[in-house]
Amino acid sequence: MPDAVVTRDPADALAAVVALRRLADQLEDAAVEQAMRAGWGWPKVAEALGVTRQAVHKKHFRRLVAAGVALRRR
Amino acid sequence: MAGFDKYLKGALARAGEEARLDGSTVEAQHLLLAIAADAGTPAAGALESVGLDRAAIRAALDREFADSLGAVGVSASAFDVPPVTPDPKRQARLGASVQLALDRAVKAARGAELQPAHLLVGIVQADAGTVPRALAIAGVERAELMTLIQQTVTGQPNAEGETT
Repeated sequence: MPDAVVTRDPADALAAVVALRRLADQLEDAAVEQAMRAGWGWPKVAEALGVTRQAVHKKHFRRLVAAGVALRRR
Repeated sequence: MAGFDKYLKGALARAGEEARLDGSTVEAQHLLLAIAADAGTPAAGALESVGLDRAAIRAALDREFADSLGAVGVSASAFDVPPVTPDPKRQARLGASVQLALDRAVKAARGAELQPAHLLVGIVQADAGTVPRALAIAGVERAELMTLIQQTVTGQPNAEGETT
């Protein structure tokens, strides 16, 4: 890893925020799917993410049903 | 307005598909991709004349994403993100940048009937955010592009100063 870079240009810093949010969303979708495929239940995924069960269920349930993931009861 | 409404509906639907590929809300860059993909229209022609087709815009957006992460020392390619199944029913929400582009398009039309080129003007006018950064990466001068787009507008009746 190179030395940590702190960008000075506010445009770059703001664009980094946008890009990080997008990356975090992509990573969340992928990681939740991966965990549920591995047999995790909603409460454990929610706790790992630090959000409520309801929040994680609402956000990902339909997608995972479409993905054909065998979901455990919540 | 019916003609433009129909165009906008189609463009937003295509932009929604582009947004789904990114797993994001529908933003101005997705609308830009949708306009560029609609080959044969004057708006797509203006983009083409500065070397921007859909693939070129995608490439610039990918670079912008990687560069922006890189500015804080994050490498997107360092993660091997497993494939994600999209929600087939989810309607991607419209982001703030699309709303701004639409507002600017209405202003650009100055009371005349809206044309696809006005929408493109609304997108290219933004001087902060993902679109201008991607355009800069693609080596496109926004002022030059703006002139080219406006030429496609004035070439049509009902453009300059008239109110209908």
